[in-house]
Amino acid sequence: MKNNLTNNKMLTIALLFIFKANGLTADNLNGLQVVQKAYNKPEPKTQQAVLKMTLVSSSGGKRERILKQFVSNNGKTEKKIMFFEKPSDVRDTSFMNFSYDNGKPDDQWIYLPALKRVKRISNDSKGDYFMGSDFTYDDLGDRNPNDDNHQILKEEILKNENCYVVVSTPKDKNYMYSKTVTWIIKDKWLVMKKVFYDTDGNLLKTLTMTGHEKINGYWIRTGSEMINEQTKHETIMKLSNIKVNVSIPDSYFSERRMKRGIK
Amino acid sequence: MKLNIFTMAAIIFMTANYGGLFAQENEINTEPENGKPAPEETSEAAVLSGYIRNYTGVLAKGGNDYAIIQNTFDIRLKKQTENAAFKANSIVYHNPEKDKDIELMLREAYVDLFFSSMDIRIGKQQIIWGKADGVFITDIISPKDMREFLLPDFEEIRIGVTGAKSNLYLNDHALEIIWLPVFSAAIPPEAGSIWRPEPSFPVSPVFHNDKEEVDGSLKNSEVFAKYSLMTSLIDLELIGGYTWDDEPVMHAYKTIDPATKQITALDIYPEYHRLTAGGGSFTFTIDPLVLRGEAAYYKGKYFNSTDPALLDSFVKKDYVNYMAGADFTIWDIKNSAQFIQKIILRHTSDLHDKKFQNLATYLISRDFFNETLNLQFFVYYDIDNKSSLMRPKITYKYADGFDILAGANIFTGSEGKFGQYNKNDMVYTKITYHF
Repeated sequence: MKNNLTNNKMLTIALLFIFKANGLTADNLNGLQVVQKAYNKPEPKTQQAVLKMTLVSSSGGKRERILKQFVSNNGKTEKKIMFFEKPSDVRDTSFMNFSYDNGKPDDQWIYLPALKRVKRISNDSKGDYFMGSDFTYDDLGDRNPNDDNHQILKEEILKNENCYVVVSTPKDKNYMYSKTVTWIIKDKWLVMKKVFYDTDGNLLKTLTMTGHEKINGYWIRTGSEMINEQTKHETIMKLSNIKVNVSIPDSYFSERRMKRGIK
Repeated sequence: MKLNIFTMAAIIFMTANYGGLFAQENEINTEPENGKPAPEETSEAAVLSGYIRNYTGVLAKGGNDYAIIQNTFDIRLKKQTENAAFKANSIVYHNPEKDKDIELMLREAYVDLFFSSMDIRIGKQQIIWGKADGVFITDIISPKDMREFLLPDFEEIRIGVTGAKSNLYLNDHALEIIWLPVFSAAIPPEAGSIWRPEPSFPVSPVFHNDKEEVDGSLKNSEVFAKYSLMTSLIDLELIGGYTWDDEPVMHAYKTIDPATKQITALDIYPEYHRLTAGGGSFTFTIDPLVLRGEAAYYKGKYFNSTDPALLDSFVKKDYVNYMAGADFTIWDIKNSAQFIQKIILRHTSDLHDKKFQNLATYLISRDFFNETLNLQFFVYYDIDNKSSLMRPKITYKYADGFDILAGANIFTGSEGKFGQYNKNDMVYTKITYHF
């Protein structure tokens, strides 16, 4: 028995040494490969859902935002259009984003019903917070793995899910985060948790996945919470009425539809 | 007036509930990819929305008189299906300081018909063109309500026009054709308003208003067309219009005593004139800038002249108006800059207006505390007259749909479009509840 224990300890130490030495997981994946697997996980061609965001202030005050979103991805371009329903002062506002796989900057437009005009807006706004939430536009999208350097930190069981823990540091020194630490569920390739550090290296935000479902064969995150650790402001995000691979014509992603809205 | 409001509301509700045209049909096919798409039937009622607002402004100079004290009830009813929609928007202004304290306006009331590659909108509607902010270049369709100068929200400045609008779509291209059978004029500031500087006349003028109306007839229709393209590279619009100048020309005929050479009588004939306009606008992105441009050529505008050979003091000229602008963000502060120039072609020295008129605008805006607080500063600067209108404001979102705004309108200079109002500096609050 003693010999077995000794052998196990030695094996563990050896594995850790190997893991630390070459930055590989037990599956021989390096940090970039893990993040790439999450980035390239099977996604439906189209997805529609109702998104509800509850914004909770540090004093407990709540505000609610509800919107309908439609996403189409042909492998080269991801098109997303959102129609705001609540609160009442932003009702009928719509937002459209085209994201390109070849690294080309996103195209973004917003329709403001009071102005009755579709405006092209700067894709430089990725660091802006989305509708007053704790999510930036960049947090809501899938960041290209090649924009960061990745290192496997450890493997860990979190909420009964086996996760890789990856630390990512941006290649662009002007990026809004100095580093992120991400818990990625093995096999599902979903982000279970993500911790963001500000440009001074201080803990800024913690993202936690609160729900996920397999819908038509695709793992979809249905709930998440983002807490700003510095202001203690919190955003609870829930997706409902999720439909994947439904027929959404390309004409849906247009100025016409932004103005017309949906009902 | 109350009866009118309730009658209108009743009509709106009856239309909403019994409009057979608005059979329910949802938009998106919801079967999985291996099944045949099928429309999802839903039952959705008309949506009632709007806002209630108190707007109180005090003049900073001249005894702290009220510049405005107004309660507003804006109500909108909208119902939309896949094939059709309707919208009605009426607004009630309560101005306790004015003689006519209640004012009811129908801003929009229209029906939409949607086809696969075409939409048709018929009724009273606001139509807005162009890419410029705070200035009107190719935005030539909806006339302006200038009773409070440029201070109201732009949704309130633009007057709804009655007509038919058709939009045709082909991929990224769209063609919009508008026919307005009924002319709608701009609304000038009321007599006695702080926004209506009274012109000085050598003698008391006599106004002859018999030519002021534009009769509703096919001949007097206005027509407009716009081609637009929205691509990843650029958003582009090309426009044209055969319209009426929304503001009447005040043709002034002088009677001069041959002995004294003095003006003994002044007869003013307000008259609307035709105007033809063509132009375009664009927007594109060069990281981190969004660049905007807009230009229009106007044919047949009347300009005030001191030429003694002119009987009515007006001469017809063409002019060009253009804007170049950029939007960008620095340290979470949104910036927007515009330069606007108006050029009168074949300009002569007798014209009251200069050949080149230069204007600049600048907007700075920043959100704080998860968008519960917004600070904004907007300025119009009249480069030629060195006068400006500065508009700082702070908006606090007390709760969802409930805003408290405090702001100021500060006029600098003594001449020109803004300097003439240098006694109208005001501070104001707007408290708004959206429902």
